[in-house]
Amino acid sequence: MNGNAMMYQMIKFLVYFLILYPAICISDAAAQIPAPAQSQPIALTGGTIHTVSGDVIENGTILFEDGMITAIGINVELPENTRVDDISGKHVYPALIDAFSRIGIFEIGMVPMTEDINEQGPVNPNVKVERAFNPESRHIGIARSAGIGVVVTSPGGGLISGQSAAMLLDGWNWEEMTLKSGAGMIVNWPSAANEERYTETLRELRTAFADARAYKIARQAMNEGRAARHDLDTRWEAMIPVFERDIPVVVNANEVRQIQDAIVWAQEEDVRLIILGGRDAHFVTDHLKAYEIPVIVTEVLASPSRAWEGYDTRYSLPAKLRRAGVTFAISGEPDAANANRLPYEAGAAAAFGLPVDEAVKAITLYPAEILGIRDRVGALEPGMDATLIITDGNPVEYATQVEQVYIRGRKSDMNDMHRQLYEKYYQKVEEWQKIRQHQ
Amino acid sequence: MIYIFFRFLFSLSFEMERVFLTSHSILTCRQLFLIFNPKPKHTIMPLNDANFHQMRNAYNKMVLLLLVFVVVPLLLSAQTTPVDGMKDNTPSVHAFINAAIVTAPGQRLENATLVIRDGVVESIGTNIQPPADARLWNMDGKTIYPGFIDAHSDVGMKNPRTELDRGSLSWNPNLRAHLKAADEFDTEDDGTEELRKTGFTAALSVPPLGIFAGEAVVMSLADGTVRDRVVRQGVAQSVNLTQSGEFGSIYPTSPIGVIALIRQTLYDTEWHRNAHRIYHDNPAGHQRPENNVVLAALEDVVTDNQPILFRTSGEEEILRVLRIAEEFPIKPWILGNGHEYKILDVLREHRVPLILPLSFPETPNITTPEDALNQDLAALRHWYLAPENPARLASAGIEFSFTAHGLENSDDFLKNIREAVAAGLARSAALAAITTNPAELLGIGRTHGSLERGKVANIVVTDGALFDDDTRILDVWIDGYRYVIDREDEVDVKGEWLLAAADGSVEAVLHVKETGPGSLGGRITIDGREIELSTASLHQESRRFRTDFPGDTLDITGTIRLTASVAGSRLFGWAEIPGRERIQWAGNLTSPHPEQDESEPRVRPARDLDLAEIRPAMEFGRSSIPEQPAHVLVRNATIWTMGPEGILENADLLITNGNVALTGYNLSAPSNAVVIDAQGKHVTPGLIDAHIHSGTDGVNEMGNAIVPEVRLGDVLNINNIWMYRQIAGGLTTAHVKHGSANPIGGQNAFVKMRWGSLSNELLLEGAPRTVKFALGENPKRVGTGRYPETRMGVEQIIADRFRMARDYEARWREWEANRQGIPPRRDLRLDAIVDILNGEIEVQSHSYRQDEILALMRVAEEFDFRIKAFHHAVEAYKVAPELTEHGAGAVVWTDWSSFKIEAYDATVYNARLLHEAGVLTSLHSDDSQLASRMNWEAAKMVRAGMDPVDALALVTINTAKVLGIDHMVGSLEPGKNGDFVIWSGDPLSTFTKAEQTWIEGRRYFDLEEDALLRRQIENERSKLIERILEVQND
Repeated sequence: MNGNAMMYQMIKFLVYFLILYPAICISDAAAQIPAPAQSQPIALTGGTIHTVSGDVIENGTILFEDGMITAIGINVELPENTRVDDISGKHVYPALIDAFSRIGIFEIGMVPMTEDINEQGPVNPNVKVERAFNPESRHIGIARSAGIGVVVTSPGGGLISGQSAAMLLDGWNWEEMTLKSGAGMIVNWPSAANEERYTETLRELRTAFADARAYKIARQAMNEGRAARHDLDTRWEAMIPVFERDIPVVVNANEVRQIQDAIVWAQEEDVRLIILGGRDAHFVTDHLKAYEIPVIVTEVLASPSRAWEGYDTRYSLPAKLRRAGVTFAISGEPDAANANRLPYEAGAAAAFGLPVDEAVKAITLYPAEILGIRDRVGALEPGMDATLIITDGNPVEYATQVEQVYIRGRKSDMNDMHRQLYEKYYQKVEEWQKIRQHQ
Repeated sequence: MIYIFFRFLFSLSFEMERVFLTSHSILTCRQLFLIFNPKPKHTIMPLNDANFHQMRNAYNKMVLLLLVFVVVPLLLSAQTTPVDGMKDNTPSVHAFINAAIVTAPGQRLENATLVIRDGVVESIGTNIQPPADARLWNMDGKTIYPGFIDAHSDVGMKNPRTELDRGSLSWNPNLRAHLKAADEFDTEDDGTEELRKTGFTAALSVPPLGIFAGEAVVMSLADGTVRDRVVRQGVAQSVNLTQSGEFGSIYPTSPIGVIALIRQTLYDTEWHRNAHRIYHDNPAGHQRPENNVVLAALEDVVTDNQPILFRTSGEEEILRVLRIAEEFPIKPWILGNGHEYKILDVLREHRVPLILPLSFPETPNITTPEDALNQDLAALRHWYLAPENPARLASAGIEFSFTAHGLENSDDFLKNIREAVAAGLARSAALAAITTNPAELLGIGRTHGSLERGKVANIVVTDGALFDDDTRILDVWIDGYRYVIDREDEVDVKGEWLLAAADGSVEAVLHVKETGPGSLGGRITIDGREIELSTASLHQESRRFRTDFPGDTLDITGTIRLTASVAGSRLFGWAEIPGRERIQWAGNLTSPHPEQDESEPRVRPARDLDLAEIRPAMEFGRSSIPEQPAHVLVRNATIWTMGPEGILENADLLITNGNVALTGYNLSAPSNAVVIDAQGKHVTPGLIDAHIHSGTDGVNEMGNAIVPEVRLGDVLNINNIWMYRQIAGGLTTAHVKHGSANPIGGQNAFVKMRWGSLSNELLLEGAPRTVKFALGENPKRVGTGRYPETRMGVEQIIADRFRMARDYEARWREWEANRQGIPPRRDLRLDAIVDILNGEIEVQSHSYRQDEILALMRVAEEFDFRIKAFHHAVEAYKVAPELTEHGAGAVVWTDWSSFKIEAYDATVYNARLLHEAGVLTSLHSDDSQLASRMNWEAAKMVRAGMDPVDALALVTINTAKVLGIDHMVGSLEPGKNGDFVIWSGDPLSTFTKAEQTWIEGRRYFDLEEDALLRRQIENERSKLIERILEVQND
């Protein structure tokens, strides 16, 4: 090794240690580290506890152990090793639920390799979104800072897009973050704008369901020894829970025709139906009620699709559904990067006629009920998960600060990417200001 | 053999041509004119081999044409073509007698005579003896009208040349002003016959392609050569206001670019003329100016007052034409579009010649109730009102000519005029619009448009009043030649006939009747047995009647077939009877069929809807802008002044004559003040959005990387429901921005949300000029092969154009110093860049990443000016100190993120950190919906840790400052515009909504009024849908 080569090696070493290594460290520090599992009982005391499903408890205590709420009340007996956090003046709410999201399967628009939303082909009932859920997505922390503890990540594209999953927004991998697999079978109801195309696509949909049902019957016959062997069909196998009403069909339908036609179809197919979108649902509330079909309103902060409709048509849709007695929830736009807007979607509904408590329920209790995760999240009750938020006010109000999020008892890192970038560049501003002062 | 056949055809064609080589004294005069005209426009070419071959080719083409059109009568006055074979001297003198003649609109002669000779009206009147040499035409029961004139057609222009590749052309294929319709006229499938069928006898043939498309010519619609048909050349220059797709993605790609190119071209024309004049006088020492055939051709427009015929779609384009006409000494004509009734007031004022198409909108699809839900009021109203357009124009005293332009089916022309008449247009006005008006407009009034002695023999013969639904056009005569349009039956067999076999063996009674248009049927009775005819037909030309009927009732197997010649009321026939001898028979008409008028009257929507004139003509449109009370006093409110006074609790705001007079406590109300008690409410200045794209036709001009000459203010469109929704959310001012396709984009426009005004009345007077720049991904990914494709190139091309502009400025300064020689060409693009460098146009640049933000600031500093603000500026927080030092503002989103890689490092704290670092910071929407709730955008920044007043400043006073309009808007300080919003509560709360929005002391939005309007809209919609159902179900 001659001198030059040694010099080269030295430089390489120095470059590595002085430049690259710190860079790696910074990126380590920048990543949000999942919180450790709850190791001791935690009691939040002195705050106002909004159970959402029941009373508001002023100056109450909420106790949780091993990620589960064990007690709520005024005089809660605390186990010996309880960590007690005084949150006087603060509010406790269940963590918010985003009933329709792409978090975990979308990172950057126009960079297709960072997206795992649309599988090829029209019929994909077998794909399961949680298996592609990226726990490293920076959108997770950002959504969590907005008070969101659970997202229902949903695939898109085609006719039968696949199965959504309710995901907890803290954890090391998708497995521990999955709250409920198969939360819904996403179906994109075809557009009724072109009659011919509509007929054709509806036939395709009906055929897919008929084929799947035939498969179910054939497999059942085989299992009961009444028929010869039937090979396994991955797609139709995935549909069996839909026919058994274990997995609801979540039908993306906005126009009045689509909504009504989906209801009729779901009754014929004898499947559980949830309407997703529901822009025109207010025209047919009686039809929805007659079969107890819930609606997940996907966009409140939007303008009407028809020029003649009032400017607030979308803002006031939740209030209209509530007045009519239709079960509903509010979700934001599904964009992963915009999950932080969920509380404001509910808040806008409150500005236009929805009672404030209902606005909160529309992003906590109601989506939990509609999506079958009410036993775990969406309210604060003993026996439910300690997936909750501490705030200084109503979470749907703009000025409210979400101070802490607990996901199944884990105290989540609130330092999301937005804040990290702010803090990093705040340092730059501070340094500059110091230099300016000296000049 | 084949050769001989073709020789035969060739000679035949000579024969055919001879037919229309009638020589007259007029011809001689014209020849004399040509010979003695001291300055002939077209010199006569000497015959040499080359043009002989051309002629030969043309002749061969002609032969082919003749093969196709051999039965069509060909034209008269081929005046220079030599006579071959026998001279045709068929008389061309015709006398129409016993006619009702409408000589001109409103002038009708009964039982009159019209004499035409050699294509010209010889005499007309009620006491006229037909000349002895005339052929007589009995017009009993018929009406004669002057031939119609189409003031705008594509006759002969169906296949315009896209590619021009010879001569001193313009750099841009859209500029083809030098093309003359007469020279480009293509007689193959030229559309003449279609127009003639509708009664047209002459038409303006308008070059269709390009922006300056070429010179229009009036053509006779008789058959014949182009040279025989030209009536008047150089009538007008045809101009399109929208880009054509024919030339790919060449500049301009948008309506903004089109207007810029029109302006530049008109300036270039002046320059070109001037430069050549100077060079001609003194060529030595001058750089030779370019010889541009387009600019030379346009001199007629600039100096000789040749009209420009602007082809428009939508009323906004008409307004654009009027604005162009204010800038240049041009004479505009407008090809309208059916929406003129929306701007009657403007048209009444400007008196621009108007050519009106009659292409009414399709009936909105209301097939199902769901379909009906999706029909907007604008479409429903237009469906109902479009037929009233001509009547409304006429009653506003606006003159116009009709055109069949835009009709897919030429039959719709008369049908739609009749609709217009049914919708209130006077018949005389309708007739004038197809006769005298276009004749005057096109400069052919001395020969065309009415029937007078000496005028051209162009007439339309009908079987009744022209504007009655069932009236048919029978014949059209053009230049004295007859074209049969709807041949009248010369023989009729309808009625009852008594038939008898010649041998007396059988008698029968035959009933013939019309079973449908042009089809016959009936029955025959033989021996008391009635048999339905299975077929019946009449061939007019040969006068032959045929019918078949089954023989089974007569115990004959098979079909009995009769055929007969018709001679008046007699039939001479024979019969084919299966299995028997054929027999001869004769028939006598025993009772003619009574004339029956079975056609049902056309169903039209009842004209009983009182649709108020509203602007825009759509949902929530207004009949006038809201009134401005002398004083408005808002009392007891929480007033966010956004000025030094901060928030005033329980305070009053006084607006006087549209401006803020005072804020304070317990203000006394001036007499006649409108007083609003706002107890418990909040009042803020009207919100401002620094970046929207709604309400314009075209956002991006992509035809060049550098386009600061295009101006969004040229293409504002008031038909924009977003504006109403935005006012409903408290927005009163917006900066309408060019798109991001160009490193240097177009000039932006400031609008006040004066919903109910004309688009040109939206502009905010006193606002600075601003230009869009764009950095990063968008400008580098426009198409392939366009420079730049990297951020490096973006920076370089901007700097390069800055240098060009400095050189351009220097050249002008040098010329201005002594004003000698050819002046520099005025370049609108470089003019704009000079203004940018000199701070007269402020740069509002689109950007994402910190590198590009920094780079543009450094480029600007090199050229000694400052960037006013960076928009979007997703990474502005990374260069906050640099922005402060440069003096640039930042206009950002609250939380848009990750929709592309350059937006990945977005943070909701962007505006906060910028504000903390002393950068003048504003929010923007870049989104029509978001623009309707900017208070909630500001509120997001409260969650991100900003003080509420600082947060609201991001959509009020800061926005005004960063845009340079804070002397007028942005805060409630005395002297500023009286733009304010009354909110139901804290404007930064999610539970709050705007209750009233005022602009310049006028209440543009009010929740209560909104509720009323919604009921009116529902009501009007349901009435209109009802009208459609009535028409469709009938």
